[in-house]
Amino acid sequence: MLLNQFLLLAAVLFCLGVYGVITRKNGVMVLMSIEMILNAVNINLVAFGAFNGTPIGSVFALFVIAVAAAEVGIGLAIVLLIYRNKKSIDFSEVDILKG
Amino acid sequence: MISLIAQITTGDDLLVAQNIFWWFFALVTVLAGIKVVTTDNIVHAALYLVIVLAGVAVQFVFLGSEFAAVTQVLVYIGAIVVLLLFGIMLTRGSLGDDQLVDTERRGMGALVALLLFGLMAFSLVDGFEDVVLPEDTRNLIEVEVPIDTDIDDDEFIRTQRGSDTAAIGDTIFESYIVPFEAVSVLLLAALIGAVVIARKE
Amino acid sequence: MDFSAALPVADVVAFNRPAIDWHAASPELILLGFGALLTLVDVIFLDRAKQYTAALAGIGLLVTMVPILTLANDMSETGPRVMFDGAYVIDEFSLIMKAIFILSGYVVILLSTNYIAEGDYWESEYYGLMLSAILGMVVMASSRDLISIFVAFELLSIPSYMLATWKKRSLESNEAGLKYYLMGVFASAIMLYGMSLLFGASGETILTKVNASLSSDPLTGESLSSSTPVLTLAVIFVIVGFAFKVSAAPFHNWAPDTYSGAPIPVTAFLAVASKIAGFVALVQLVFVGFYARADVFQPLMWILAAASMIIGNLIALRQTDIVRLMAYSGVAQAGFILAPLAVAGDVGDQALASIVSYLAIYAAMNLGAFAVILAAARKTGSTSIESMNGLFSYAPGLAVAMTIFMFALAGIPPLGGWFAKFQIFFAVVEQGGTWAIILGVLLAVNSVIALYYYASVARRIWADQAPDGDLTPIRIPPSLGAALVLTVVATLVFGFLPGAVSQFTDVGLIAGG
Repeated sequence: MLLNQFLLLAAVLFCLGVYGVITRKNGVMVLMSIEMILNAVNINLVAFGAFNGTPIGSVFALFVIAVAAAEVGIGLAIVLLIYRNKKSIDFSEVDILKG
Repeated sequence: MISLIAQITTGDDLLVAQNIFWWFFALVTVLAGIKVVTTDNIVHAALYLVIVLAGVAVQFVFLGSEFAAVTQVLVYIGAIVVLLLFGIMLTRGSLGDDQLVDTERRGMGALVALLLFGLMAFSLVDGFEDVVLPEDTRNLIEVEVPIDTDIDDDEFIRTQRGSDTAAIGDTIFESYIVPFEAVSVLLLAALIGAVVIARKE
Repeated sequence: MDFSAALPVADVVAFNRPAIDWHAASPELILLGFGALLTLVDVIFLDRAKQYTAALAGIGLLVTMVPILTLANDMSETGPRVMFDGAYVIDEFSLIMKAIFILSGYVVILLSTNYIAEGDYWESEYYGLMLSAILGMVVMASSRDLISIFVAFELLSIPSYMLATWKKRSLESNEAGLKYYLMGVFASAIMLYGMSLLFGASGETILTKVNASLSSDPLTGESLSSSTPVLTLAVIFVIVGFAFKVSAAPFHNWAPDTYSGAPIPVTAFLAVASKIAGFVALVQLVFVGFYARADVFQPLMWILAAASMIIGNLIALRQTDIVRLMAYSGVAQAGFILAPLAVAGDVGDQALASIVSYLAIYAAMNLGAFAVILAAARKTGSTSIESMNGLFSYAPGLAVAMTIFMFALAGIPPLGGWFAKFQIFFAVVEQGGTWAIILGVLLAVNSVIALYYYASVARRIWADQAPDGDLTPIRIPPSLGAALVLTVVATLVFGFLPGAVSQFTDVGLIAGG
């Protein structure tokens, strides 16, 4: 197998994620797009690790996964808080401001 | 790029089978990824994301990193997506599908994504063209091999490809203790903060 | 795949226990210990603990200064302490930055004490998160490894996202937090993609080894000119990720909204400590990780620096809210700090020294300005620029302090800012190339533009009438007063005795390990 087939697959996922971040208005949807970018990163890391024959690639990917879990957790806590506050103010404006 | 296609048609049977499977899973992953960023239904988007994440786990298996693959399934699909679904249910359950996508930005988004992909593909092909992965993509690990089974002490160390799980553990605790401890503080802080932010007063 | 080569049973070589220099790690361990103690005290004593948490956090930071001073004292004998093969380094640069982080963290805790206790906030958790963010910064100052930099970056960012949201009932604060969070997470994902390419190019995460493999092919010893596009891509992605963190234009959009929505002490924390941490990471990457590829990072830094100065200053001119004004002034100052990085390949020592001095002075000036804004808002309840009108007529002390900070920010001698700007200017001009001279001219022009809006704030304080003629004085609680005194003294000392700063900041190139 070629190294590039993995890297190009990761590049496709990365660009799909960037497209999602630009076009999505909803915070949770933006978060999903960012998760795709992080997965592209992980494919890159593990592929380069396999290419170099070192476990560092997998180790880096594991750190990325652990941090992603923490990020998603607090992201949803913030979304929940906004939902609760907005519901009492104006239900039609639940759409969250966009970057 | 040409050699990428050439590699599918040549090579031995095992390699051909491996490549057919690889292209199948890659295609499924990309198609599901397109649906994640285009679908109008937020729950569907989360479910398509599961397919993308599973596809990435399959890529890890292709790359011989089974520990990363298992973690991907456990943490990403088992925890993060479930968390996302909970978030969706708790906030948008009663709402319709309207206004999830900013249609005005679609053209710009597509343009940026395509330009970016062109740039990245050019750089990657330029930098890693025809670089072939080793046939056995598992990690290089050092093992002690007994020369003579009668004498236990007399061993020599050789490098070979092997399972990465033990090597990952050793690497984390030999070279990456500082980030490991920092991640544990990070997870605790995220836990405490998320509880405070999400709880009702 | 042929797996038959794998031997059936073989023992993996035994685990090598890494050597840990406990003295070098003690600042981090003490900070960690106080963070855990704070959480435990909160859990055990519940509401009774509230009145002690701020003091405990402050004491924790001051105790952490002790090992930093002893390490600095030993530095002349032992030299830089290197752990984990160069992944974690304690050198002069890292000790100075750790001291800046801890002292500015201490000032932020002084600012928070009354603000958080009097508002509708969760108190103990606030200080716990603050300490863990500061721990992330302290770890960042020593990290010379891609994984450590990434994890330290997240450890300082994730508590900040939550602190920006801490005013739970205010929708503004919530949206400030969400905007900051989404931008931050997106930026760190971009940065990670760049890091994955850097890792791929070298097969290593330690910055010195990354640098070695960027400069020459490990096998043939030739320059890797053929893969320049990949390296350029990697460097661009990593730098763009950090440009978000330091709010450099064109990646600054989140800063004004987040700063004006977040609680004011948290804004001060984001604008000072968190931003400096972004610069520390950038400096380490540029001076240790990419130093061999000045041809790649210098043009990028030039663009970021010029865009940040121009955009930040021009938008700052028409702000009506003092916090938003500080946000855009922060964007412009980010441009100033990035400017020496655009010439770092040629005048490395001087560029590094000027950045370190600017960061130290930047922390004092900006924390001070936020302390005055906080104090004034205690009476007026607003952060609009009009609320500063006639400050001198009812709070002369605050008025003098604010004037000092505004003129220091504008770079008027003999206050702290002039020395910082002067050094940056000379480091840039020293390089002497056409582009460096253009950047020098931009620095000078932008200093003049900035003078206009800083001076207009000072004019309001002294010349205008107080709103509604209300001349009741502002009651300043002791902790806020202490913060004001500390920052005023630091700003004056840095201005009158620049030798005192440069003696510490002349650190030479960072030890790579």
